[in-house]
Amino acid sequence: MRIRAERDDLADVFTRANRAVGTRTALPVLQGLLCEVRGSTLRVTGTDLEMTVRTQTEVEVTEEGRAVVSGKLLADAVRKLPPGAVTIGTTDSDVEIIGNGPRFTLRQLSLEDFPVLEETPVTGTEVDGDALVEAIGQVAVAASNDAARPILTGVLFEPGDDGLRMVATDSYRLAVRDLPGVGVAGSGLVPARGLRELGRTVGAAKVSVAVESREAVFASERGSLRLRLIEGTFPKYRSLLPESYPNEVVVEREALLEALDRVSLVAEDHIPVRLVLTEGGVEVAVSRQDVGGETEHIPGEFNGTDERVQVAFNPRYLADGVGAVAADQVRIRVIDGLKPSVIDGVDTPGFLYLLMPVRV
Amino acid sequence: MRIVVAECTVDYQGRLTAHLPRARRLIMVKADGCVAVHADGGAYKPLNWMNAPNLLEEGDGTWVVTNPKGERLVITLHDVIHDSTFELGLDPGLQKDGVEANLQQLLADRPWVLEDGLTLIRREYPTDIGPVDLLCADPHGGTVAIEVKRRGEIDGVEQLARYLERLSLDPRLRPVRGIFAAQQITPQARTLAAARGIAAVEVDYEGLQEVDSGELRLF
Repeated sequence: MRIRAERDDLADVFTRANRAVGTRTALPVLQGLLCEVRGSTLRVTGTDLEMTVRTQTEVEVTEEGRAVVSGKLLADAVRKLPPGAVTIGTTDSDVEIIGNGPRFTLRQLSLEDFPVLEETPVTGTEVDGDALVEAIGQVAVAASNDAARPILTGVLFEPGDDGLRMVATDSYRLAVRDLPGVGVAGSGLVPARGLRELGRTVGAAKVSVAVESREAVFASERGSLRLRLIEGTFPKYRSLLPESYPNEVVVEREALLEALDRVSLVAEDHIPVRLVLTEGGVEVAVSRQDVGGETEHIPGEFNGTDERVQVAFNPRYLADGVGAVAADQVRIRVIDGLKPSVIDGVDTPGFLYLLMPVRV
Repeated sequence: MRIVVAECTVDYQGRLTAHLPRARRLIMVKADGCVAVHADGGAYKPLNWMNAPNLLEEGDGTWVVTNPKGERLVITLHDVIHDSTFELGLDPGLQKDGVEANLQQLLADRPWVLEDGLTLIRREYPTDIGPVDLLCADPHGGTVAIEVKRRGEIDGVEQLARYLERLSLDPRLRPVRGIFAAQQITPQARTLAAARGIAAVEVDYEGLQEVDSGELRLF
C-alpha cells in the first residue's frame, strides 16, 4: 500500500474513524485503524465492535493494499505533520508516514486479527443531517451512562405518528423528540454513546438513516456509522406522560439557564434546586449547610390553580432539560412536588422533557 | 481464545530453567497473546505461562513462545486431543460488589438508617488531613461525620477521631459528632469509639440495598 494525499484530508479521515476506537479493549487489534486502498480511494475503518466508523477520501495511489495501524498514533502523527502532501506506505511490518521532512515509522498490527465487519449496504431514509444531530443531542442527554442497566443507555428509534420518534430515559428524566416527515421503517434501541459521535464522524447536510434488525446505520458522503442495537425492552414510556398540568410558568430560556449556572456554583447533584412558581415568574433557590446558598427571581408568566407551587429538581438534570429546548421561551408544567414535571418550548412542538422532582 | 487439550511436555528457559514432564494439560492462548499451561488442579494458577507481548511460533508438533526479555517456552505436543478457538468479545471487566465504595454510596443515599433525621451534606467532605466519607446534618442543627468501613477496627475509629478534631475547628459546622459505620465492628473498636464519644453502628449491606432511598423515579 502506498498513497499520497494532503495532510488535512488524511488527518480528517483518520481522526473521524478513530472516534470508534476504544482506549480500553481486550483485543489489541481494536486499537488499530484498518486502512484499505483500492482504485483511487483510501477507506479507513475503526471499531470497538459496538460502534464502527468508516471514512474515505480520494488519494493518489501508487500501490493498492491494506494495513492496520494504531489509530491514535496514526491520527496524531498525521495531524502533527507540517502542512502539505503526505505519503503513507507499508513495508514488511511497518507503515511509513512521510510529510515534508518528518518521517514516522509505525508498527503494523495484525491484519488477520482485525474483525470482519458488516458491510452490506442498506437503503436508508435521507434526512437533514443538522436537524438529526440536533434532535439526537436533545434526547441523548436523558440517556443513562450506567452500564448495569444497558437498555437505559440507548435512544429508542421508532416510527411516530408523523415521522421518526426518538426517546431516551435514565429513569429520572425522559426526553422525547419527533422528527416529522422522516419515515424510518424499523425500530430499535441505539446506543446513545455512539449517537453522540454522529455529528463528529459522518455528519453532513444529508444523512441516510436505517434501523435494521441488529444495527442502526447512518451514512453520508463523509462515510458511515454503524451502531449495534441494544437488546432488551424499552420502558413503556407513553403512560408516563401526564395528560394535564394544573400549573405552568413560561420564562426566557437564557435567563433560566444563566440562573441555573449560578445555582451550580453552590449546588451539587444531591443538593436540589427549589423552584417556586408564583405570580410574576419563578423563584430559584439553592441552599447548602456547609457552603451557603443563592436565590433569585426570574420574571415570567404563571398560570396555575394554586397561588404558589414549589417543586425541587436535581440541578444538572433541570439544566440539561432547559438546555435541550430549542426555543427562546421555555415552559415548565408542574402537577405538584412529587409528580413528574414537563419542560418544553413555547410554540416549538416535537420535543418534551419529563423530569422527576426531588423530594425535599 | 484458543483452547488446546494435549499430551505435552513443556520446557521454560529464562529467569530459571523448568521442565514439565509429559502429561495431559490445558493450553490457553488468549486474544492478548498470553499463553498459559494448566493442569487439572492448582486453582487459577497455571503451571507455566508467558505473558504478552510475545511471539508464538507453531512448528510441527512444537510451539515456541519467546518474549523480548529473552525468555523461551517450548511446548512439545505429543497428542492433541482438542483444539478450538472462540471469539469472546470485549470483556466488561470485574464489577466488585460490597466494597467500601458501595457501602458508602448506599449510606449516602439513606443516611437516616444510621440515625433518624440525618440528611447528607456531602460525600468525601474535605478536611486538611483527608476527606471524611460522609458529612451529614442532624435535625437539631448539628453536624455528623461518618466514617464507613467494611470491617471496623481501632485504626478506623482513630481516623474518625482525627477528622472530628479538624471539623470541630470550623465554626460553621460546630457542634460535630461522629458515627463509625461498618459491616462488622471489633469489640476493641467499639470500646475505643465509646471512649471517644463516637457512636458505632453495624450495618447490613444486603439489607441496605432493600431500603428505598426515597428517590423519586419515573419507573
